[in-house]
Amino acid sequence: MTPVIQAKNISRTFRSTQKGEGLKGALGLLLNPQYRVHEALKNVSFTLEPGSFNGLIGANGAGKTTLLKILSGLIPPTTGEARVLGYEPFKRPIDFRRQIALVMGQKAQLWWDLPAMDAFDLLRAIYNIPTPVYRERLHTLTELLDVKHHLNTQIRRLSLGERMKMELIGAILHWPNVIFLDEPTIGLDVLAAHKLREFLRVFNHRERATIILTSHNMDDIERLCSRVLILRSGELIYDGAPGGLLREGERRLRIRFLKTPPLETLAQATGISPELIILESPDEPDRGGNIEDEPAAEEQKKDPEERAVYFTIRHEEIMGLLQKLMSQFTIVDMGIEEQSLEAVIQRLYEDEKTSPPEVHS
Amino acid sequence: MSGRAANIRRGLGLGLGWRVAALKNGFRDATVYRIEFISEIFGAAFVPAAIQAVLWYAIFKVGGATEIAGMNYSELVRYTLATILFTQIRGGDHDFELMEMIRTGQLSNYLLRPVGVIEFVYIRGVASRLLIAGICLLLGMGVGIWFGLSPGRMLGAMFLAVLGNVIHYQIGSVLATIAFLWEDAYSLLMVKNMAVSILSGELLPLNLFPEATQWVWKSLPFYLYVFGPAQYALGHWSHVEFARNLAIAFLWILFFWGAIRISWKWGMKTYVSVGG
Repeated sequence: MTPVIQAKNISRTFRSTQKGEGLKGALGLLLNPQYRVHEALKNVSFTLEPGSFNGLIGANGAGKTTLLKILSGLIPPTTGEARVLGYEPFKRPIDFRRQIALVMGQKAQLWWDLPAMDAFDLLRAIYNIPTPVYRERLHTLTELLDVKHHLNTQIRRLSLGERMKMELIGAILHWPNVIFLDEPTIGLDVLAAHKLREFLRVFNHRERATIILTSHNMDDIERLCSRVLILRSGELIYDGAPGGLLREGERRLRIRFLKTPPLETLAQATGISPELIILESPDEPDRGGNIEDEPAAEEQKKDPEERAVYFTIRHEEIMGLLQKLMSQFTIVDMGIEEQSLEAVIQRLYEDEKTSPPEVHS
Repeated sequence: MSGRAANIRRGLGLGLGWRVAALKNGFRDATVYRIEFISEIFGAAFVPAAIQAVLWYAIFKVGGATEIAGMNYSELVRYTLATILFTQIRGGDHDFELMEMIRTGQLSNYLLRPVGVIEFVYIRGVASRLLIAGICLLLGMGVGIWFGLSPGRMLGAMFLAVLGNVIHYQIGSVLATIAFLWEDAYSLLMVKNMAVSILSGELLPLNLFPEATQWVWKSLPFYLYVFGPAQYALGHWSHVEFARNLAIAFLWILFFWGAIRISWKWGMKTYVSVGG
């Protein structure tokens, strides 16, 4: 099958001016500006099949949005080559633009003061969609996303979730073959996020559109994507099925101690690398939601003794580990869980702070 | 229609559908807040006219002058009335909108649509101006007949004013590309607008300029916005002079069309689509 998206050794650098503090910094910026060159993407290569649903994940600043901007044709790569639907994206030929859509969760695309219906009507004309087809699509999309009764409300008066749904409708009214979604569920409540996710799943299934989704919500990735690309500091460190990230036989051993020792002590006592030991919050045992969230200040203040500790370990090593722990500490509770994608990704992000990336595929 | 025919039609720029829809959409957008819309019209036209009226009164009635630059009091008042009509048409703020889009990265929303960004923003922004031009034309024709002015001249003058509007936006679009480099072009666009206020004839008839400095406004396109249309409507330009200035307006449009293509091609290479 011919790939619909090809990225070949894509690199992208940005140059930005650095401003020092105070008056001296302001004068310095005027008289002798200093620049910083940032390498957002480093030799990224991959291909994507038509009709596939792909997740693009990485910590903030990993290069996800930059990659989407390059693939959608907003900016060119500094080096390397991108091809989408057979086109060079940055040339943005009209036929290419007619077949793609980019939804940025943090950027409004519809006109703030007008009702969504007015915007959709203009988009119908822009994409030259025959009126009966347009009506049918609008009906389908508004039904699926449950926003029919908001069509005549000014965009600025809609809630974030309703607005996001309208943005999505506006982006795909022309039935694009390739859809780039940059954090479409950002800021949405659980129900709205679920509705949006379900809609994307159905749309991908029905229309066979190729979708690339970036999200910090691992629910989005796990439930929708058959393939995951992980970026770390601009490098592609994983490209494969989400299940491939979970090592066979790997488990999470949850232990609650009478008095939780420091992680370094636990690492020393068990011989397990500190990256494979995670201290959890008692409020949030499964660490659901945004895996990049910094622990809340309130959470940090809580007594560490109340927290459970998770060890990432192979199934056959569990007994040995328990023996070591019980000989040195008092355990009050324990359990074995399947390894979660979120925990694996979290570990990958944490590795970023300590070590250069390893390439998996 | 076959795909090839549609491509040719698109290539020739004959796709009127989205242009009409953009006009309608722009008009709806401009009139969402009716009071704001109406106060903008009155503010834009009547403030410069009031300044002129006070000035003529001071010069002729208080100062006792009988003529300036060959024009008497009633001629200058007629000029002032004519400028009210054409000042309404001379330009909107959609060049500021373009600059803001570049600065904030909102431009990205438009770049991926299958229409030209500059044309799209212009058409959406000009919708309300065209409506005002229509109203002004009817008003001008009605009042003009009362004063013995030719409706045909009024129509021609309004056409020239609309061309002036196009040129004004084109200049703004070129200047807005500075935002690709400096991230902001607000002051540059403001300076342009101030220059336009003086050199378009909106505040003063341009023949009041000293002889030695007449070349300044003659070598710029701004006089085509207000002064030129007023001259033709009031019968101070012959048909030949009007035709010559119409040709000049089209040449400026052609020139700025090229300038837009070059400056935006350069600008897009430096665009980083910030924010998100």
